[in-house]
Amino acid sequence: MTFPFWMLIAVLAVAAFSIRVLGLLAGESIKSSRHSWMLDDLPGLIVVSLVASSLAGQPVGTWLAAGVAFFIAYVTNHVIWTMCAGVAAYAGLVWFGF
Amino acid sequence: MVLDTLSSMKHGIIAILPLAAGAAVYGFAFGLLAAQVGFPWWGVALMSSFVHAGSSQIVAVEQFAGSSAVIGAALAGAALNLRYIGIVASLSDVLSGLSLRAKLIVIHITGDENWALTMSERAKNPEVGAAFLIGSGLVMISVWTASTTFGAVVGAALPNLEKFGLGFAFTAAFIAMARGLWRGPSNSGPWLVSFVVTVAIVLLGMPKAYAIVAGSVCGLAASYLMKTQRKLPA
Repeated sequence: MTFPFWMLIAVLAVAAFSIRVLGLLAGESIKSSRHSWMLDDLPGLIVVSLVASSLAGQPVGTWLAAGVAFFIAYVTNHVIWTMCAGVAAYAGLVWFGF
Repeated sequence: MVLDTLSSMKHGIIAILPLAAGAAVYGFAFGLLAAQVGFPWWGVALMSSFVHAGSSQIVAVEQFAGSSAVIGAALAGAALNLRYIGIVASLSDVLSGLSLRAKLIVIHITGDENWALTMSERAKNPEVGAAFLIGSGLVMISVWTASTTFGAVVGAALPNLEKFGLGFAFTAAFIAMARGLWRGPSNSGPWLVSFVVTVAIVLLGMPKAYAIVAGSVCGLAASYLMKTQRKLPA
């Protein structure tokens, strides 16, 4: 492995860890400020954005499968059941040509 | 106390397994890509264990393959990880009570999946905390490192597992986690803003990682505005 490969790993590792440390410092300062509500709201907002980013631009079948997963999540509030139902719905819809 | 901690860690280890299986497929694909660029298998293992950021690694290696510009490739990859400022910040309560050294280790083993699962489980049961995060995080970083290394060693193509819905498993899991984090109607406005902004930005052609950051920030702004409105006298 040549020098540029080593450098890429080192710089990426330092950059990725620095971002996490920045989050740690931000969390401590936000927690003790009047904006501590942000720490309660952030998890839901990031998770919703993760869902939105994976659905954006996808075919109708993917949105329908997401609808099935949403229904199962609403009823069961259980991650594994929702994953199983979502994947089954997705595979079924692909099978039927969606 | 120790038994409780071990039990919670074990709970995290078991609960994350379905998500780890999905991550393994992406890990394998990344290992394959990195090997084609010229990384030896042990270089891939080194990167996965010390960087532990899937999308950042993929983008950095792709950029590096195209230009061999180390700093540019690393910064492009790292920029995709900016959402971790918010992710780690939100762990403030979960990590309180740990030593600084432990916190630094825990934030390194924290990924999207085990963070979201921890926050979702914690919303149902406040006893879920650092031990659960650590147990699930150890599984994720181990599976990520092993699968990327395996991809680099084997170097053969997998059948298209995406076709069978494996990629969608993450989406379904995040939907379930969002359900667990739902606090009531006051969430609806900010969540809708986050969702719409993220979709719009992806459709405009921006990388998903930036869309996630922008969507979350806009959701926070909406939440702030709604809280301010509620405080205003009639």
